[in-house]
Amino acid sequence: MAEPKEAQQPEAGAQPAPEAWFFCLRLLGGRYAFEAPLVTEVVRLGPLTRLPAAPAFLPGVFTHRGEVLPVLDVAQLVGQGSVTLRPSTRAAIVHCGPWKVAVVSDSVEGLVAIPRRQLEPPPAESSGVAEFLSAVGRDRAGAVAILDLPRLVETARARAVPAGSGSA
Amino acid sequence: MTGPASELILFQVGPRTFAAVVHDAIRIGSVRDVPPEELVLETALGTPSACARGIVVASHDEAVELTLVVDQVLGTRSVPEEQVQPLPAFAAACLTSGAVTGFVLLDGDPLLLVDLPTLVRERATAVPA
Repeated sequence: MAEPKEAQQPEAGAQPAPEAWFFCLRLLGGRYAFEAPLVTEVVRLGPLTRLPAAPAFLPGVFTHRGEVLPVLDVAQLVGQGSVTLRPSTRAAIVHCGPWKVAVVSDSVEGLVAIPRRQLEPPPAESSGVAEFLSAVGRDRAGAVAILDLPRLVETARARAVPAGSGSA
Repeated sequence: MTGPASELILFQVGPRTFAAVVHDAIRIGSVRDVPPEELVLETALGTPSACARGIVVASHDEAVELTLVVDQVLGTRSVPEEQVQPLPAFAAACLTSGAVTGFVLLDGDPLLLVDLPTLVRERATAVPA
């Protein structure tokens, strides 16, 4: 993850910059976050049911309050390893347009607030996770890469070969 | 059980148990006397190891009968319809097989619900007999 420029300090007497809330998790050896309103809750995975004919980024489904939810492994999607899945692994349940998925990570940090004016464009890379970054920011704990989660989820769906259009 | 129920057949392929609608199975029997071209061994569910039983399935046009080879048929279960769930939309959009249609929650655990005609049709399309 590229280091962003030093965060700007507000000028004396200036109004505090409006803050954006993000949901932060640890992944791929760094801190990644996405728009907090996308997250409905954070849960422990519990037993995972593997799906046949599923892409690697969809390691399975699990049951939460009687609802079956698909698990999305962002690390697998960007081709940079995979999250170790255990029953104790925590997942953020997110709504991205028509899709409801549970995003797994190495650990969950929670909500972070970053002034919008301190967000900077992502590094100009088009491979790996950089492809899905919308901004980079910084809080007291350090640099945070902001994921465009709706685009990431939609790309995952598009990269999968839908049933009926590929070889079985 | 008072509400509507689904009649399901439970079977094993390898170590995993799957469920299918009983109505999709014409009969269950040995695979010994079935012509090889009518046997479906490798599917999206995997490859059976014991190949002990066969579930005879009508293809979608019902012109051909194909026998899905499985390791074991565990029996049938009547399951309340509220315990049957469709595949989550995101999972359905990502799977390369259309044969997995949903889940049956048995004792709280999700069991994959398989559309048998689609399963054998996909195999027939992929590997011409």
